[in-house]
Amino acid sequence: MDDATPPGANGTGVVRLGRTSLMWRAVILVVGVTLAALGTARWNDDRWPFAPMSQFAFAVGRSSEIRSTHIDALTTEGTVVQVSLSPGGVGLGRAEIEGQLPNIIRDPVLLQDIAVRQRVIHPDQPQFRMLWLRQRVTQLRDGAPVGTHDETLATWTVTP
Amino acid sequence: MTTQAAPVTGTRRPDRRRDLAEDWVRRLLTPAEPLNRIAVLRVVIYLFVVWDTFMIVNDVQPHAEGPQNLYKPLLLRRLLHLPVPSPAYAHTLHAVIVIGALVAASGRLPRLSGTVVAAAFLDWVSIGMSYGKIDHDHFALVVATWALPTVGRARFSDRSRSEAAGWALLAIQLGVVATYFFSAWAKMRFGGWDWANGSVFAWAMVRRGTDLGRALLHPTWLLRAGQWGLLSLEALSPLLLLPRTRWRYAAVALFAGFHLVTYLTIKIHFLPVVVCLLAFLPLETWRPRSRFA
Repeated sequence: MDDATPPGANGTGVVRLGRTSLMWRAVILVVGVTLAALGTARWNDDRWPFAPMSQFAFAVGRSSEIRSTHIDALTTEGTVVQVSLSPGGVGLGRAEIEGQLPNIIRDPVLLQDIAVRQRVIHPDQPQFRMLWLRQRVTQLRDGAPVGTHDETLATWTVTP
Repeated sequence: MTTQAAPVTGTRRPDRRRDLAEDWVRRLLTPAEPLNRIAVLRVVIYLFVVWDTFMIVNDVQPHAEGPQNLYKPLLLRRLLHLPVPSPAYAHTLHAVIVIGALVAASGRLPRLSGTVVAAAFLDWVSIGMSYGKIDHDHFALVVATWALPTVGRARFSDRSRSEAAGWALLAIQLGVVATYFFSAWAKMRFGGWDWANGSVFAWAMVRRGTDLGRALLHPTWLLRAGQWGLLSLEALSPLLLLPRTRWRYAAVALFAGFHLVTYLTIKIHFLPVVVCLLAFLPLETWRPRSRFA
């Protein structure tokens, strides 16, 4: 790598780069900025870190529905609880479930993973017997919320 | 292999032209910056990386537990043949990051420890993003972990300036500006002008708003004005790269303020970008005012 010119004891000078060191740094900056631009202009999430900077980058109509996903569970104690979609809960986040929503709706067996995660991560807590993938739907009218209801998207009876 | 720059006098014409070009590249991409600024920034970045693995991308261990049907490895992981994370793999990786980052923060073996941290942290964050959700708040921080080791040794007591330091700072700054500017671009790509005219902030407040955030739902023009404000702020972010002036510090404060507001309203803090905003500031002047050094 580029060994710098010693600037002198406790130096006060300027440590310069050799020509080669300068060139590869210039090339990296140009390539990096180009990849980042391509990531946002054309590519998708799969190419991270050169993925679109797309958090919250979608249009929401002023009279649209706002959907917020949660999972309800019937436990071995007979109560219905909302599954904690967090690192400290079943280790998956709400956005991660939402990112795979079509897969889960098509193939509700994927919800079995949630029950297994609960068993592995929280063996001491009540376990899940049944799971419902649900969304809270909030209706907007001209930008303001006017009502909410819940919809069930998938149901799974946990296999032991 | 570094040379003291030769003064551009008395050389033959083609050389002179090449020297002028090189000089221009130097001034643009590797402006000499204080080495002790790197010394300070390095401590902050590496300690933040440790904190990050416990508090932000803290889902790698939980992800590694249990079945992996929801694991959808990113292209990066497939290309590099990085493994499906097992609990043992996640534990080991975490240990490598923490130990590596503490060594790097201490300033020892900066190239070696820094490169180990950069590789391990990239592995770690890419696991976190391989379960169906990408966050774009880590771009600048990942850039920072790769840029810092290229500077080599940098001491708090160092009074010299270095072109390598200038390049590393510029790379981090570009990572920050890319995060903001390309966010505006992505909003146009996926949402168009409807992004700014619609109700995306209301969407965020309804789904994850704090009491303060939900209070902002009325009157509805307020959030819409906020959308236009944010889009403008992000689109103008390349101005951060203009030479250091009071305006630059004001712009840094403005972006930091934006992140504070999103934290207070929707609990999203974007700290990995905020910490990289420090690369725009004269950190070396913040050292304790003792006179030993």
